[in-house]
Amino acid sequence: MKKIIEVKHLTKKYRKIKAIDNLSFYVFENEILGLLGPNGSGKTTTINAMLSLLSYDKGNICYLGKEITPDSYDIKKEIGVVFQEIAVFDELTVYENIDYFCGLYIEDKKIRKKYVDDAIKLVKLEQFVNYKPKALSGGLKRRLNIACGIAHKPKIIFLDEPTVAVDPQSRNNILEGIKKLRENGATIIYTTHYMEEVEKICDRIIILDKGKIICQGTKEELKQLTGIEEKVTIEINNLDRNHIEKFKKLQNVKNVEYRFENLEITFIKGKNNFTKLIDYLKKEKISYNKIYSEMPTLNDVFLELTGKDLKD
Amino acid sequence: MFLHNFKYSFLFLLKNKSLVFWTFFFPIILGTFFYMTFSNIENNEKLKKINIAIINNEELKNDKLLLSVLGYLSEDNNNEIFSTIYTDLEKAKELLENKEIIGYLEIKNSKYLITIKENGIEQTIFKYIIDEIIETKIIIKDISSTEKNINLEELYNKINNNITKVVDMSSDNLSYTMIEYYTLIAMSCLYGGVFGMYAINNILANMSKQGARVAISSIKKRTLLLSSLLAAFLIQLIGSLLLLSYTIFILNVDYGNNIVNTLIMTVTGSIAGLTLGVAIAALFKTNENIKIGIILSITMLGSFLSGMMGITMKYIVDKNMPLLNIINPANMITDGFYSIYYYQSMDRFYFNIISLLIFSSIMVMISIVRLRSQKYDSI
Repeated sequence: MKKIIEVKHLTKKYRKIKAIDNLSFYVFENEILGLLGPNGSGKTTTINAMLSLLSYDKGNICYLGKEITPDSYDIKKEIGVVFQEIAVFDELTVYENIDYFCGLYIEDKKIRKKYVDDAIKLVKLEQFVNYKPKALSGGLKRRLNIACGIAHKPKIIFLDEPTVAVDPQSRNNILEGIKKLRENGATIIYTTHYMEEVEKICDRIIILDKGKIICQGTKEELKQLTGIEEKVTIEINNLDRNHIEKFKKLQNVKNVEYRFENLEITFIKGKNNFTKLIDYLKKEKISYNKIYSEMPTLNDVFLELTGKDLKD
Repeated sequence: MFLHNFKYSFLFLLKNKSLVFWTFFFPIILGTFFYMTFSNIENNEKLKKINIAIINNEELKNDKLLLSVLGYLSEDNNNEIFSTIYTDLEKAKELLENKEIIGYLEIKNSKYLITIKENGIEQTIFKYIIDEIIETKIIIKDISSTEKNINLEELYNKINNNITKVVDMSSDNLSYTMIEYYTLIAMSCLYGGVFGMYAINNILANMSKQGARVAISSIKKRTLLLSSLLAAFLIQLIGSLLLLSYTIFILNVDYGNNIVNTLIMTVTGSIAGLTLGVAIAALFKTNENIKIGIILSITMLGSFLSGMMGITMKYIVDKNMPLLNIINPANMITDGFYSIYYYQSMDRFYFNIISLLIFSSIMVMISIVRLRSQKYDSI
């Protein structure tokens, strides 16, 4: 795969505190890269440095082998940014806002009109084009914020926590929109502290903490990095003690607990634990109402690696 | 790109209702209050004609100097002080009793007898002028007794031309309230700095979230700055010209007869205001409201020191702290307008124009130093 962005040994200090500490990573063409980390982990600082807005103490950032500077207008032309805070003008309407930001990249009026219309369609704001931002709900404002950042059809899009404080319906709309952008050929760098979002849309994930990369890879790779357990819950009525003891002897079983008609079995890392358990239930003719497995989440990965929760 | 950014900068500045109110309409409202307040004060302070009576007898008919001076001071010639009635003694007494006159003069046995009923400023002026005439007559008498060949007619005329004149200082030609209106235009020009501040805030990454989005675009910083500032200047100028027109056509403020110089002063004042706003935007990395507060404080303080709340303050500062008014842009603008209106020579006008341009250049230099950096330590 083609490396589109290369970050090498990036270090940024605020006085004596290192906001970014020797960060190195790649972004491949047409992937969605998730930058995951708790608040203050250095996600936004990394993005601002990559956009050449922030000065940094060490390292370099290259786009297709070319180092970015504030005057790299040819590189900037291909970049779109959706900031964490809503960055639109309250005095302008939805259409005017998108047209203004798009016009900073696209001079041709006809092409611009088409691009603006496409952006409005993508974020589903067709009914609100003449509204001013103040008249929009939080979710609609977020969508406008996205449209302003991507209307000029950039090849590289930075999305810095675009779903903060958004209702579930708007969040789904936004995530669907991001997937569409990738389908249209964009490379996306997506920061968030919502692990569910990252699991849903990202191809690769970099987990940051205190300005350092603590791990990176696909979500499967990350989950393999740690010996995280799998928990299976079975709803069984009147299970006798003998059966409970037999469950404890199954392969990879670490712990068994039976309470309130629920049998909770914790497996250590291993292949096909769930399938083997179902086979065992059939063989022993144990009837059950419900069975489900809880796989480890990225939050569990983060917890395992740092000892703290992502949302802390 | 230049036109695109210019168009939208113009739009979002013009659509900012509170900004437009404070920069466009507040000075107009303030000007209207000035008009309502000061025009009454001026009318009240205008010297009213003093009603007097002169007893018409043979001695009066022979007193050419008295007749000549009283005639001059009673004519409708912008210098009139008296409204004079020539009548007999009985009628004069009756008029005085009815308070239709403040006093009367009778010449009896070459003596000037002034009769008044009350004491006051008008009575004092009446007596002062008659005393002046008596003294002049004594001088003439002395000269004619020593210089036998003197032409008395010619002497009367010479004395008439030099006789003490009481001039109404509150005439249309010298209205101190004009200063108030000039400071108002100065205030409007400097208030316009808020437009400059907004224009800068909206395009710089370390000033606002919108600025960060604009700053990462592929449009050059120079193009952004110039187009945004041109839009801000145009709106500011519209505001100042609107106020100027309002004061000329509705409030009848007199800016002298030189409209070109008045416009030059307004444009130069607006440039000074704009550059002040830009410098403040560039100097202080704080939120918009604090920057607006700083601009308004400088503007109000400057306007106050240049005489907005009373011309006395301008004189006090000119006399005791002249440097303060030399560096005060509000005073440069006010003084510039005043010089167009009052002085024949344009030296003082040019001095103020040059001072404003120097002030603007300093502001531009401060802004350039601050705006030069393209990457920031923090945003």
